[in-house]
Amino acid sequence: MDNLQTLKQAFTTALGIDAAAVTDELTYNTIPEWDSTAHMILVAELENVFDVMLDTDDIIDMSSVAQAKLILQKYHVSFG
Amino acid sequence: MISDTPVNHFRLKAYQVELHPMAQTHQVLMRSWRNQDEIRQQMLSQECISEEQQQSWFKRTQYDPKQLHWVIEFRDTPIGATNVKSLETGKTVQQSAVLEPGLYIGDARYQGNIVAFAPTLAMYDFCFEQLGTQLFRAVVKHTNDKAMAYNRKLGYQLTESGELSVLELNYERYQQYTAPIKQFLSRPRKAK
Repeated sequence: MDNLQTLKQAFTTALGIDAAAVTDELTYNTIPEWDSTAHMILVAELENVFDVMLDTDDIIDMSSVAQAKLILQKYHVSFG
Repeated sequence: MISDTPVNHFRLKAYQVELHPMAQTHQVLMRSWRNQDEIRQQMLSQECISEEQQQSWFKRTQYDPKQLHWVIEFRDTPIGATNVKSLETGKTVQQSAVLEPGLYIGDARYQGNIVAFAPTLAMYDFCFEQLGTQLFRAVVKHTNDKAMAYNRKLGYQLTESGELSVLELNYERYQQYTAPIKQFLSRPRKAK
């Protein structure tokens, strides 16, 4: 599984949504499934699958799937 | 019960935010936030307030020991306001066992964001651990789903339902429910 698939799987698992819903445009707090509690579960899932530890600024700023990719790239996770 | 000097001299810093005692210099911004449609509609008094009303409110509350008001700063920018009020007759905030909290995030970027929990955590820690507060009692319009959900995530329990819902929170439940979010908001920040 490449990093993009891993990212999608992490969103699917943490938010309990279909993989098809995980697009770059998916944004925090625009669907009921991605609220503040789910956001923490998502962060924990991303940290687990990519073996990184995000700092607080990145946790706060991770407001979309696109933004998650940009932030994870800072932790040397490449999305091709 | 009115003080001769401003009552709030508590500057709080925790969970990535700073709470500054509300000052005259904040009033223009405060009024602009307060009069935003989405904030006004969730308040008990929904009318737009004038500059004079804002000034009158500030002068009154500044010297009232039954309430403490702060402006929230995140990344050195004001993003909202928070407050506590004594719910015990004749008792100051410091003396009262029961407090009513208030919060609004004026900066739309942080409404509903995880950072919106930070000022509440900083203020509740201070009240429970420094002032000896025993209980928070929140009054929320039953139609305000976001506030109801927000309070439940802090550990509040519904005690009265109606047009206005009453929710209560003690220290034990507060600690239990907020441990994960505190952990996320307490991580060190990397130098940019």
